[in-house]
Amino acid sequence: MRRDVRAKLLERRSLSPDASLLEFESDFLANELRPGQFTMLRLPGDEGLLLRRPYSFCDTDVAASRFSLLVKEVGRGTRALARLVPGDEVDCLGPLGSTFTMPPEGKRPVVVAGGVGIAPFVGFCRALSSASKVAVVLLGGRTSYDLYLREVFEALGMDVRCTTEDGSVGTRGRVTALLDDALDAETQLYSCGPTPMLLKVAELAKAKGIPHEVSLERRMGCGMGCCLGCVVYTSEYVRSCTEGPVFDASVIAWDRDPHPL
Amino acid sequence: MKPDLSVSFARLHFRTPLIAASGTFGYGTEYLDVSDYEAIGGIAVKGLYLEPREGCPPPRIWETPSGMLNAIGLQEVGIRRFIDEKMPRLRELGPTVLVNICGSTVEEYQELAHILDSVEGVHAIELNISCPNVEEGGILFGCDPRMAAKVTEAVRAQTKLPIIPKLSPNVTDITVVARSVEAAGADAISLINTMPAMAIDVESRRPRLANIVGGLSGPAIRPIAVRMVYQTAKAVNIPVIGIGGITSHEDALEFILAGASAVQIGTMSFVDPSVWRRTLDGLEAYCERHDVEAISALTGGVLS
Ligand SMILES: Cc1cc2nc3c(=O)[nH]c(=O)nc-3n(C[C@H](O)[C@H](O)[C@H](O)COP(=O)(O)OP(=O)(O)OC[C@H]3O[C@@H](n4cnc5c(N)ncnc54)[C@H](O)[C@@H]3O)c2cc1C
Ligand SMILES: Cc1cc2nc3c(=O)[nH]c(=O)nc-3n(C[C@H](O)[C@H](O)[C@H](O)COP(=O)(O)O)c2cc1C
Ligand code: FES
Repeated sequence: MRRDVRAKLLERRSLSPDASLLEFESDFLANELRPGQFTMLRLPGDEGLLLRRPYSFCDTDVAASRFSLLVKEVGRGTRALARLVPGDEVDCLGPLGSTFTMPPEGKRPVVVAGGVGIAPFVGFCRALSSASKVAVVLLGGRTSYDLYLREVFEALGMDVRCTTEDGSVGTRGRVTALLDDALDAETQLYSCGPTPMLLKVAELAKAKGIPHEVSLERRMGCGMGCCLGCVVYTSEYVRSCTEGPVFDASVIAWDRDPHPL
Repeated sequence: MKPDLSVSFARLHFRTPLIAASGTFGYGTEYLDVSDYEAIGGIAVKGLYLEPREGCPPPRIWETPSGMLNAIGLQEVGIRRFIDEKMPRLRELGPTVLVNICGSTVEEYQELAHILDSVEGVHAIELNISCPNVEEGGILFGCDPRMAAKVTEAVRAQTKLPIIPKLSPNVTDITVVARSVEAAGADAISLINTMPAMAIDVESRRPRLANIVGGLSGPAIRPIAVRMVYQTAKAVNIPVIGIGGITSHEDALEFILAGASAVQIGTMSFVDPSVWRRTLDGLEAYCERHDVEAISALTGGVLS
């Protein structure tokens, strides 16, 4: 069951010069959405935009009827969203898309996230934490600003390890450099972030035969499976809004996926 | 008394004058939990060929001022799977079913029409001779009045179902194509399909779409579409279905006053799944306010 709900902004927190955490109120979405899923969001007024924009759900608080989105400003829609003030309302169509699956008994979850790609993992790690599981969370960014919300993962009891390209926090370099150490035969991998990173993770996982779920970002027109704008190649073009955004990484034909957004 | 918002033409009955445009409403069931289907009079399904098609590589869409570009390239499941897997649910939904068909040759259109003629629950054939994103067929048929007539005539010979050629705006004089498909036996005409268009990312210097060019839809094309519906409705004696950038009852009324007997909504249904109910309620209120007993009385009512 999906709905188009009007959600009120309760709180906005700036996380970096270009990223904000937005907390919205909606009983329906707080209850219905599952880690990995997303919403198609429409701004109040039209802001000169036509199409809705997809955002992953970051976290939910069922008791408080709240859900949050982590938004990075890259264009008109994201900038307008980051300018909202508490009390403003947006239309959220959702919950949409596939979910991350909990690791099977005996498997150790390892999460790899770059930049705003950490958004869907907050809710996922909360679910792991409730099931008394600890994930290794590998976070990567260009600089310390990009390592959003790492204290939240720590508070959830996750084993957080960071890299920055400028060395301002954690190990200097790319997040994939930490992967080798974190992986073994009992690992279950989860990833979301820039495509070059996902590709690296997918290659490593494949070489080692490690199960790997990946959340992909594609331009979306409808989010409902109707425009066929969001496709990803497996053995044919499949819709990332309905069959994804979370895929078993081994089904993706990465070489047929040029991915310029 | 409540105004009559149903429309009947070309041997078809639509419970409302609002039809879901081909390629924007899947195979009909995708919006069941979020849109009010009672407000939808008809559904034109995604364009179908004889065989399944892979479509264009991504990126396939890009937003432009008040519109969007798409080059989907008619990714579709093929007529057989459509009939076996999609028709059973589609025929139960309530809205009148228009099957949008596409071919690379006249013979393919003919065979599709022949197959559809005996399929229960198919009410009409919308002839897609206007898709800008396929290499052969598509828009080539729609831009040449002689070819458009040839396809229409060939399909006419295969089916008793109402035939509705869907025209491309990419022509010098839309009335020439319209008259030629009318003479070839079309029961109604729908227009417009998307407008061939292009956008470039200046940083990477690459086209925004992998297909380089795509079709423009949404409010950006509405005034062009209204003009073409106006010209077409004056030029032919068969009913016209207006399409292009409709977002509200005012927009729908523009098309109706320009000469449309019904309208289709495409891009806006992506943006607002409640567009159906909102537009229908708006039409009803308008009719009441203007003492109009039936929406059909407004067709062609623009004053000059
Ligand atoms: C399933 C899914 C989940 C997502 N989750 C989040 C999230 O949690 N937080 C978040 O901040 N963003 C998320 N995104 C990306 C977000 O949708 C885009 O950043 C947004 O659509 C850009 O809109 P805009 O109007 O600001 O940009 P536009 O003005 O439309 O474009 C500006 C620039 O942004 C680029 N761009 C356009 N679409 C995307 C895209 N999908 N991803 C990256 N760059 C894009 C364009 O190439 C362009 O150069 C997600 C995308 C998907 C598909
Ligand atoms: C993503 C997309 C896919 C489309 N696919 C088809 C199609 O398969 N067959 C067709 O005849 N028209 C297709 N169209 C055109 C629409 O049916 C319609 O004519 C056009 O979008 C203008 O209406 P709108 O502005 O309300 O969207 C498509 C349009 C879009 C945006
Ligand atoms: S976004 Fe329209 S089909 Fe996926």
